[in-house]
Amino acid sequence: MLGSARPGAAGLTPDASPPPPLKAESRDLSFHYGNGFKALNAITMPVHEHRVTALIGPSGCGKSTFLRCFNRMHDLYPGNRYEGAIVLHPDNTNLLADDVDPIEVRMRVSMVFQKPNPFPKSIYENVAYGLRVRGVTNKNHLDDKVEESLRGAALWDEVKQRLNEVGSNLSGGQQQRLCIARALATDPEILLFDEPTSALDPIATASIEELISELKKRVTILIVTHNMQQAARVSDYTAYMYLGELIEFDRTDTIFFKPGRKETEDYITGRFG
Amino acid sequence: MSYVAQTPEQIRGLIAKAKRRDVLFVALGVIALGIGFATFLALFLDMLLDGWGRLRPEFFTQFPSRRAAQAGILSAWVGTFLVMIVTAAVAVPLGVSAGIYLEEYAPKNWVTDVIEINITNLAGVPSIVYGLLALGLFVYAFGLGQSVQTAGLTLALLILPVVIVATREAIRAIPAMIREGAYAVGATRWQTVKDHIIPYSMPGILTGVIIGMSRAIGETAPIITIGALTFIAFLPPAPVGAEFPFLSFEWLKAPFTVMPIQMFNWTSRPDPAFHANAAAAGTILVFMTLAMNGLAIWLRYRLRKNIKW
Amino acid sequence: MSDHTSKQFDAEMEAIRSGVLSMGGLVERQMARAIAALEEDEDAKLIDAVAADERAINQLQIAIDQQCAQIIARRQPTAVDLRIVLTVTKVVNDLERIGDEIKKVAYKAAGVRGSDRLTRIRYYDVVRMAGGAQQMLRKALDAFARLDVNEAADVVADDDDIDVAFNAVMRQLISFMMEDPRTISASLEVVFIAKAIERIGDHAKNISESVVQVVKGKDVRHATAEQIRAEVAGE
Repeated sequence: MLGSARPGAAGLTPDASPPPPLKAESRDLSFHYGNGFKALNAITMPVHEHRVTALIGPSGCGKSTFLRCFNRMHDLYPGNRYEGAIVLHPDNTNLLADDVDPIEVRMRVSMVFQKPNPFPKSIYENVAYGLRVRGVTNKNHLDDKVEESLRGAALWDEVKQRLNEVGSNLSGGQQQRLCIARALATDPEILLFDEPTSALDPIATASIEELISELKKRVTILIVTHNMQQAARVSDYTAYMYLGELIEFDRTDTIFFKPGRKETEDYITGRFG
Repeated sequence: MSYVAQTPEQIRGLIAKAKRRDVLFVALGVIALGIGFATFLALFLDMLLDGWGRLRPEFFTQFPSRRAAQAGILSAWVGTFLVMIVTAAVAVPLGVSAGIYLEEYAPKNWVTDVIEINITNLAGVPSIVYGLLALGLFVYAFGLGQSVQTAGLTLALLILPVVIVATREAIRAIPAMIREGAYAVGATRWQTVKDHIIPYSMPGILTGVIIGMSRAIGETAPIITIGALTFIAFLPPAPVGAEFPFLSFEWLKAPFTVMPIQMFNWTSRPDPAFHANAAAAGTILVFMTLAMNGLAIWLRYRLRKNIKW
Repeated sequence: MSDHTSKQFDAEMEAIRSGVLSMGGLVERQMARAIAALEEDEDAKLIDAVAADERAINQLQIAIDQQCAQIIARRQPTAVDLRIVLTVTKVVNDLERIGDEIKKVAYKAAGVRGSDRLTRIRYYDVVRMAGGAQQMLRKALDAFARLDVNEAADVVADDDDIDVAFNAVMRQLISFMMEDPRTISASLEVVFIAKAIERIGDHAKNISESVVQVVKGKDVRHATAEQIRAEVAGE
């Protein structure tokens, strides 16, 4: 073993390869809540394809608000208002445009929430729901897709014997993976994670993080986390937000080793406030 | 100088004092509960003993009679049953739809606020007022007559606020994240309502409906106001017939009486034998109400078992 | 050691570990070349090769250190992972210093060549010393690769032998220089070579001590060989 040709030399040098193509980008995105509060201010940020982009920042910095712009969740509550654009590539659709139906946006951009929120239906129906909404009724297609999605969410082996049991009987980590399977079933282009592990124990958290690293092979991922270490572990790019502004966006390596802005450094080193 | 108890003796003294208060409050609570329960039990037992002699199978199968010993509640319980069917058939679709609309569709502005306040207040309107309204509207304006349908509609109106409020409460108990979860996979508003909101709020709605019905079953004032007969020695026409078209809705238009009115009638007679009849009918009415409440509890337990978040 | 939930973390830990091993391989090759340069006559190619090895070693040091910094920044390693990462940065440092010393040996060897016979005879002891240091280095890297504390303890004991040999060489050189001042300049070159080899032994010992620290979680840097043996034997 000693003196053998040097292994993994490529793994040792920092990745200087050119960034992957863009999947989406927000351009001068501002957001106003119905009560007049301006939660986001002119955010311009790229989202690279098949990469994990983490949004970090203190509570109330607007990171979740920003994330929920990507699938127009804010449309569910009256009075909210967007400015600017989120452009989805390659077809250059502005997700926020008035003539783009939020339902269409949500069919292309899926979301996993903070607390696992399986429907009080069977495991099978939870995963199949997105397909049923799209009018899929063929039992074979549904079966295939449910299995594929559960495998994708690393849950298949644990639940294949009890697909007809209620989803809420699963453990917290399993429920969250069920929600990931539900989001995957419709083959979204972007998957949004809103603090997906904040309600989970460390072991379940680790398995979800590992799953996220696996999933980026098939889908572009945007994740909000209040846990900086999680951002460091799972993401390829990190955005630091503060008071509705994007302070810094860079490769995660750079953000956590030598951030460009003093505000970012203060936050990630715990000198904040 | 310290304001906090320091020595173990002081601490033990404090705990003993606090525990004495605990005991005192428990005692007060038990007494309060005892008063309420004992009163109900006394009333109920008194009624049960008075009516015990009349609680025979024939009591259910005989029409009212001038002779107390031969009088039964056949027309009363059939009337109550039919009126309840009409009430449920009207109040449930109306109330549930209105509740869903208010929670899921209505824009949140002052108009909805006003409607909301009104609905809440309607639940507190004295039932005789509903009776007067029904007399003017259903009996005279619409010419529906002093019939089963009028009574059903009146009681439906009476419990509508209860059903609406129960529906809204049940819908509000569904966490926002379940709703968001449905929208997030691309469901439309109607798909969300149909596949999630209605099924998940069903236990709460059913409970509300049954509680409302068990209130309606004992209502006397509005029924008297619209002119229910107090002495009926016949049954409404059967809803199912032997001849085409087999189904008949003639019963809707039939005159009727209901349990509370039958009781009211009997208690107003001078002959104490009729008072025993009234007590027996009252016992049955209490059991009907308790049974409905029991059904509500059982349904809620059964249906909620699989709905967790 | 069993795997982490995060496969990426496993890959990163394996990368720094195998990085150290390939760096160690380079240092060993460089050492062999330096010894060849000591033993053989004029060979400019060998010297160049040693210098090239040293540059490659420096590159690897920077790369592995960067990798360690990334692991600390992104993974917050704890317990055994933390000990490995901290140790790797130290071992990498020692290996780089060994590379420097080896280069010194190779360059000085050229200077000694062509001086008088007497010096060349003493020179033989130095070559033997170099062989001992080479042994130590191999055992130290072996101990690191297999996290073998017993072998690491051996290396620490071996370092005492190198020190004894160094002192012997010094005494002999001093007596030469006193007998015949004409040998002084050549002897001084040999002193530098011997000193460099002695330093190589010290660094190999440091690497071994780091191995003990990874496995036992105890800092044994200033303990004697006997103390370390006792520590290694005790569970």
